[in-house]
Amino acid sequence: MHTHVWKQIRDREAGKVHTNHFANRIKSNRISQLQLSNHKDIVSPHKGAVNSLQIDSTEGRYLLSAASDASVAVYDVQRPSASESAAAFSKHKCLFVVDKQHQQAHKYAVSTAIWYPIDTGLFVTGSYDHHINVWDTNTTQVVVNFKMPGKVYRTAMSNLSTSHMLIAAGTEDVQVRLCDIGSGAFAHTLSGHRDGVMTVEWSNSSEWILVTGGCDGAIRFWDIRRAGCFQVLDQSRTQFGRRPPILKRSMIPKDSSTKLSGTQKKHANGSGSRQLSIGRVPSKGPTKQRLHPGMLSTQDRATAHYGAVTGLKATEEGMYLLSAGSDSRLRLWDVQSGCDTLVNFETVRLQINKPLQLATTQDSTLVFVPCMRAVKAFDMWSGKTYTILRGHYECVNSCWFNEQDQELYTGGNDRQILVWSPARSIADEMGEGPTEDQDNWSS
Amino acid sequence: MGTEEGGHGKGTKVVSLIEKATNSTAPEVDPRLLKAIKTVVRYSDSELRVATLTLMDLMKRDHSQVRYLALLIIDELFMRSKLFRTLVIENMDQLLSLSVGFRRNVPLPAPPAIASILRSKAIEFLEKWNVTFGVHYRQLRLGYDYLKNTLRLQFPNIQANVERVQQERRERERRSKEILLSKYESLKENASSIKGGILSTMDEIDECLDILHAKQESVSDDILDDDELGDFRSLELQQLRLEALKEGEKVYENSDNTVVFDTLRELYKLLMTKHLISIQEWISVLVRVEASDNRFRDSTLKEFIDIRNRLKSVKSKCEEAGCSLLNSLKHDEEDFWEDDNVVSMEISSGAANNKNKHLDVASTSHKMNSDSLGWQDKRSTSSDTDRLLHQGREVESNSQRSKLIAEAPVVRWSSYLDNWGSNRVFMANQRGLELDSHWGRVDADAVIPADKIAELNVHAMPYEEKKIEIQPCLAPLRKGGLCQRRDMKVCPFHGPIIPRDDEGRPLNQSTSEDMNVHLGSDLVEQLAKQAVKNIRVRDQEGAKKREIDKQSLKRAKLAKIREHNEAVLRDAALASTSGSAMLGEDGDVTNEDKLSAKNKKQSLASMLRKKVTSKDRIAQKLLSSHARVTADRQHVSGEDAKYREAFPNQW
Repeated sequence: MHTHVWKQIRDREAGKVHTNHFANRIKSNRISQLQLSNHKDIVSPHKGAVNSLQIDSTEGRYLLSAASDASVAVYDVQRPSASESAAAFSKHKCLFVVDKQHQQAHKYAVSTAIWYPIDTGLFVTGSYDHHINVWDTNTTQVVVNFKMPGKVYRTAMSNLSTSHMLIAAGTEDVQVRLCDIGSGAFAHTLSGHRDGVMTVEWSNSSEWILVTGGCDGAIRFWDIRRAGCFQVLDQSRTQFGRRPPILKRSMIPKDSSTKLSGTQKKHANGSGSRQLSIGRVPSKGPTKQRLHPGMLSTQDRATAHYGAVTGLKATEEGMYLLSAGSDSRLRLWDVQSGCDTLVNFETVRLQINKPLQLATTQDSTLVFVPCMRAVKAFDMWSGKTYTILRGHYECVNSCWFNEQDQELYTGGNDRQILVWSPARSIADEMGEGPTEDQDNWSS
Repeated sequence: MGTEEGGHGKGTKVVSLIEKATNSTAPEVDPRLLKAIKTVVRYSDSELRVATLTLMDLMKRDHSQVRYLALLIIDELFMRSKLFRTLVIENMDQLLSLSVGFRRNVPLPAPPAIASILRSKAIEFLEKWNVTFGVHYRQLRLGYDYLKNTLRLQFPNIQANVERVQQERRERERRSKEILLSKYESLKENASSIKGGILSTMDEIDECLDILHAKQESVSDDILDDDELGDFRSLELQQLRLEALKEGEKVYENSDNTVVFDTLRELYKLLMTKHLISIQEWISVLVRVEASDNRFRDSTLKEFIDIRNRLKSVKSKCEEAGCSLLNSLKHDEEDFWEDDNVVSMEISSGAANNKNKHLDVASTSHKMNSDSLGWQDKRSTSSDTDRLLHQGREVESNSQRSKLIAEAPVVRWSSYLDNWGSNRVFMANQRGLELDSHWGRVDADAVIPADKIAELNVHAMPYEEKKIEIQPCLAPLRKGGLCQRRDMKVCPFHGPIIPRDDEGRPLNQSTSEDMNVHLGSDLVEQLAKQAVKNIRVRDQEGAKKREIDKQSLKRAKLAKIREHNEAVLRDAALASTSGSAMLGEDGDVTNEDKLSAKNKKQSLASMLRKKVTSKDRIAQKLLSSHARVTADRQHVSGEDAKYREAFPNQW
């Protein structure tokens, strides 16, 4: 393996291999070796299930975790705590923790905690106590506070945005709200879902496009510059493979609009008879005419999953969207066409009562999905199980892939945050432990 | 790595070993099996992999005993093999959930007593593993942490306990050191006063002794000198004389020096009970203490040791002077007793040894021979060359002897061998007891003649039966196997014992066989006729087939007849042995392997069954409807009887 690496380096020097290509190859090689890290322990101060994990996008160094015991903690994943540096494995204690002792802490479980995408000076937490707090990292004080109409399930901020600083919040309420940090008020209220919104995700290709997944099984695309949602994903609209040929693509919009009306009737009854009756009353001629053309899709009751949509993850290049549902299905959607790509992910069972946090690798080859007590890594395009990462003793809620170090962090109901890292080479391990791990047969 | 190519075929060995080891009801794994497993697994990685899979499979068994034994094996291997650790660690959560049973939907299986043992053992093992290997395996740390901090299971905390004990010991040592130091400090302050007190007492004693000796000297001086030159030349005499002199020197208490003696005794007592002990204590303190200035310590230590020596000398002087304390006397006495005991013990043990020796030897005359033979044997095993050298010489000398030995009868040992071949005459009345004229006149010279003695000492030899092996019955049993009953002539179940082959068929059937032949031939004729008819009726269907049919038919008939014969024989046997008719074959011993296997299975399965306690049995008896009815009736009749007795005139 090492000779191989040397050869590659020589090729890169000679210009035979492109720099990015070289880096990607090494990265993917490392990713393929992911296993439970034996040299890096994150000491979790949480006394409840870890609901959310995120590495900051600026330095790739600080891990933010939120837990059910209303606590939020930040860890440095690169430098271990000084006192433990002598041991065979390094312990990473939290830099600070905001728990119930803190004056401004949340009352109930914190369901989501995200970094401010520009720097690590701010982070945002959302909790079951109906509040979204924006914290100053250095003083650990609340800077802005939003009162939501219900439990907050998920918050998201766009990594791309240059023109807005909005926190998209999915709550128990049917409406998705966008909270403006600058003004401290709700900038938008996006209505269209018929049940609580479990998960929200900003698009990776446009700063104005937001994707939300609700408990009604719908995945809606919103352009925040316009009223209403512009696309609803329908599980019955499928395409085979990654993307249809270019010729067909131009026809799809027309095709889909005709299809939409058809599927609308077909799938209206999927959500239950009660909603059907409610839906039918306003769907008469006059109301339809009064609607803004862009709002037409609010009437669309297509579902992406049977049951709730529990997790959303847009791929790095923004062309595909992964969704996990309480029907234990994982679907890969082509964002452009809005079709299910019919990749059969070999999930067995997914947790259904909590929002799940999925993770993908940078080159979108693998997707990490919490499947009950294990985390499964699937090949994104074939759906084959790549590896199963077992380590948690209870259900896993969240995972986050650190692109910089090629490490995966997972948090579960067993209060642990586990680090999955590439296998270290033998040279790294030489002479580090106080005692070697050896066979111990009696002679 | 060559072993790995052995592949899957080899794995069965360890699998069968593990299966065997876990198929038992014992609380431990059979150590021999365990050892076998370890050796097999040690030299082959493929076997180890197979063993891991097998053990994990066994952990999934629905029986706590099996899981428990599997866990014990896992622990043994886990502590030893790195590969095994890496394999097991991958499924750590599964292993823990199967052994600790912490998942509510996966509880531990049936025998609850063993399940609880399994649980506690698993927790103990996990702790041990975590202490030893936790550094290397994150999964272990995780599992331990999860069980301890999340599920709050109670760990035995062996390591922590050891640490605590050590901590306590250190604390104790520290405290004792402090005490020593404080003592040392106090000693520093008042060393001189202590010394002074002791020295003054010693001086007083010296004075007392001086007074006593001065008195004595005036008396004994004149005798001493002139004797010195006299005739006590020889060493012994001189010794005696010296002793006598010493004795003379000793001062005895009399009316004159009672007062002195009293004071001396008192001082001596003081010395012994107080000063000597205190000085010993101080010395030990000085030895143990770790002081900053060693000069003072050393000097005082030296002084104290001097003082102690002086004390001892003074003490001996006092004792010479005759004032020993009471307790010392007692001590002497005790010593005496102990000595006695030891001696008697030795005697008895010696006697026992002698006896043993006697028993070992077959006869006195043989002793030498057997010894020499033994010697020869030993030598022969030790080295061949030696034997070759010596053989030539010994062949001649031993040829005759060995011949004699071959002929000589082996005699058991008894007391008559004491006077083997002696012609001595025994004195009848000289046995050491002087019973003069108690029973009338005694003839001291009465003699028992030698032939009489020989007659009295005639060796009695019990008749020893020749051992013959009784053949087992070996008749085939209905449930398989052969009858293992050993009887001399007739088996109560299978009739007379006859030689049989491996399957239990009699080898030489005499009468019944003949009968069979006759019957058989008749049948054959009939069958042949029928066959001819068949041929006429039907078309030919191949002679061979018919032949086979015929043969099988014949065989069936023969079997029937044999069965009948056996039944007859059995009936006869049953008739001959009364009272065992109902037992049938149940009492017989079956094939041993089968039985043991069955027993084991039964016990593993029976562990799952609920035990029937005496309470259950009583309940069954008492609560049955029959019992209740009879009890009621008894109760009613009892009341009736009482009533009738109380009012005999009323009907």
